[in-house]
Amino acid sequence: MVKSNTSALGIIFPNSYDAMVPDLVNVRLMASIPFASRYRIIDFILSSMTHSGIGNISVVVNKNYHSLMDHLGSGREWDLVRKNGGLHIFPPFAAKEARPYIGRASALANILDFMRDEKEKYIIMSDTNIVVNFDFNDMLQKHIASGADMSIAYVQRPVPNGLIKAENNGRCFYYTFDVEEDKIKKIYINSKEDGVQNFSMNIFVVNRELLVDLVNNAMLLGQEFFMRDVLIPQINKLDIRGYKYEGYTAFITDMKSYFDENMKLLDDYNLDALFSGSPVYTKIRGDHPTQYVDTAKVQNVMVASGCIIEGQVENSIIFRGVKIAKGATVKNCILMQDTVVEAGANIEYLITDKDVTISAGKEMKGTDTFPVYISKKQTV
Amino acid sequence: MAKEMIAMLLAGGQGSRLYTLTEKLAKPAVPFGGKYRIIDFPLSNCVNSGIDTVGILTQYQPLVLNEYIGNGQPWDLDRLYGGVHVLPPYQKSSGSDWYKGTANAIYQNISFIERYDPKYVIILSGDQICKQDYSDFLKFHKEKNAEFSVAVMEVPWEEAPRFGLMVADENDKITEFQEKPKNPKSNLASMGIYIFNWDILKKYLEEDEADPNSENDFGNNIIPNLLRDNRQMYAYHFNGYWKDVGTIHSLWEANMEVLDAENSGINLFDESWKIYSRNVGMPGHKISAGAVVENSMVSDGCRIKGNVKHSILFAGVKIEPNAVVEDAVIMGGTTIKSGAVVKHCIIAENVTICENAVVGAMPSGEEDGVATVGSDLFIGENAVVGPNAIVKNNMKGGEEQW
Repeated sequence: MVKSNTSALGIIFPNSYDAMVPDLVNVRLMASIPFASRYRIIDFILSSMTHSGIGNISVVVNKNYHSLMDHLGSGREWDLVRKNGGLHIFPPFAAKEARPYIGRASALANILDFMRDEKEKYIIMSDTNIVVNFDFNDMLQKHIASGADMSIAYVQRPVPNGLIKAENNGRCFYYTFDVEEDKIKKIYINSKEDGVQNFSMNIFVVNRELLVDLVNNAMLLGQEFFMRDVLIPQINKLDIRGYKYEGYTAFITDMKSYFDENMKLLDDYNLDALFSGSPVYTKIRGDHPTQYVDTAKVQNVMVASGCIIEGQVENSIIFRGVKIAKGATVKNCILMQDTVVEAGANIEYLITDKDVTISAGKEMKGTDTFPVYISKKQTV
Repeated sequence: MAKEMIAMLLAGGQGSRLYTLTEKLAKPAVPFGGKYRIIDFPLSNCVNSGIDTVGILTQYQPLVLNEYIGNGQPWDLDRLYGGVHVLPPYQKSSGSDWYKGTANAIYQNISFIERYDPKYVIILSGDQICKQDYSDFLKFHKEKNAEFSVAVMEVPWEEAPRFGLMVADENDKITEFQEKPKNPKSNLASMGIYIFNWDILKKYLEEDEADPNSENDFGNNIIPNLLRDNRQMYAYHFNGYWKDVGTIHSLWEANMEVLDAENSGINLFDESWKIYSRNVGMPGHKISAGAVVENSMVSDGCRIKGNVKHSILFAGVKIEPNAVVEDAVIMGGTTIKSGAVVKHCIIAENVTICENAVVGAMPSGEEDGVATVGSDLFIGENAVVGPNAIVKNNMKGGEEQW
């Protein structure tokens, strides 16, 4: 029996591009980075899959995944507690030869048996460094209609700055395509071309049995990276299509893009573009509504529930349970869950992680180009 | 496996004094406090008091309520043995009956209660805003060796004739019950929350059912019968926040009291006694440059560009630029368009108030009516809704209702 409403199952790689945001993933992984006042980045891909009728989703975790497991729980909030299928979390199998995966091919090798045993005809794979309200079903239908072996989603945009700057670390690859009549003719690794490129979203639709074969071979050859080691050498042999995505996307490629992509949502146009599709689900905390007292002054802010705002807040993204005391001033900041800004503190261009306290009267400022990050549970 | 105590929650009330607000939904499903519904309070109290089995007796317009309760998961009441069960009247081999009264509703569900073989049953009301620890109430009941206990509030003597009153001795033993008396002998008002020993309750329910002249009501029949038989009846004093939100004005007032937790005592921010509710799943709310938000509660998904003072905004409310909202309760999905003035009122869900319309007015002199607009309505441009108006139908541009 096929375990989902569509003929595809989903596989998510929550650790991809962790190295781009080392501060933010110190206590977590890419997938569980807080985003847009009440979400974790994975919520977007996960909700998109659910809404596309995919009810059998595997999350192949690698390291630092406690926060993600806490966030996902049983998968109930995404409607993924299912008798058949539902949410699976695959941690590395702790055999003595085991080591953390580096690439997608080695991660998939770890779940090869699972992929072999499932019944769905197609597999959809995605990373979690993209914030997007994606219609996987549309991509799947186009893939099926094309009769191709594989489809990969891409956007037309310049390569994000964070990726260009970080390319020397040898761990994080990004890909750009030559696309002719929907066919991907050539795949470039870490291209330095300026201007608009066919930039890969690393979202794949692939025929399951083909993927099992490809991964099996890759495993025998000791190959790590699916795109680099498996697809590029076989680009002429396989029928790989490009699926041009034109909806709203936010790529998290460094701290600056994390800051900017959050701030962009203060513009209603962007907010609507991201959220006007299907709803985005997240873990429910059960907070009360946010309260503004008579001394509160707020301008151009996005605020989650559970906050108590007594001070002045401008151009900021405020997560759940944040408290901003009387006389405090917060400008151009991202304050994650349960941050406390005490009376009279004055902060600007700050990213505070969970449970940070800014003590009374403290003044602290980053800049537009270099927001200051304060790690989890610190008191300033 | 027996349960010590299970709860039966009376949620069938029509709430006719809430007029248009309860036209399409039962009173316990009426939205409250920005993200809650009234029934969240007794349900959360149950869970926080360690009660994991709740029967909800529904009758009037149960659709919204049923959907809202669902499997009870938001209140942690999706349990293998117990949990929350919605209990509408049903057809039996010997015919079917609507719930004739509060006592009859419980009588018709005796078999539900017996499945859990409880020692005690607590009867709750689904139309009050109250944070109460029922485990403390049960402790009192046990200490007194009572067969029946009722939670009571001290009310001002001049208001006492509006309530059902318990006359009790110095040991809190109830000696007399007066239903809305002209000359009150007590100022202890019944909150309509009772703990019974199940064997006693069952006996009196059966006796009451056999009496063709009975109204099958707890206040009018069961309690007088218990008194007649000199049962061990005690009054449990409750001092916390309690409000029967049975009228438009009291519902509005209770919402406003949420904004003043320090003085009113209805603190929704209390982490040790959380009130749970079903989440709507919207992104954080957005307050634009040029907007003013003071002294208000704002829920997820709101978009505020106008002026909001001393108001409660439920999820997904939109306030356009130059709209003015003051002392207002605006329920989910409603849009207040540019230039509209909305004051001292309750606006139900998914309403559109068009440009420059006026709804309600701040009280002047004796006049403090709360204007009310029912759900899914359209109030046209420049329309005027007077401070005592209760709007049930769409209003065209320029139309007035007082």
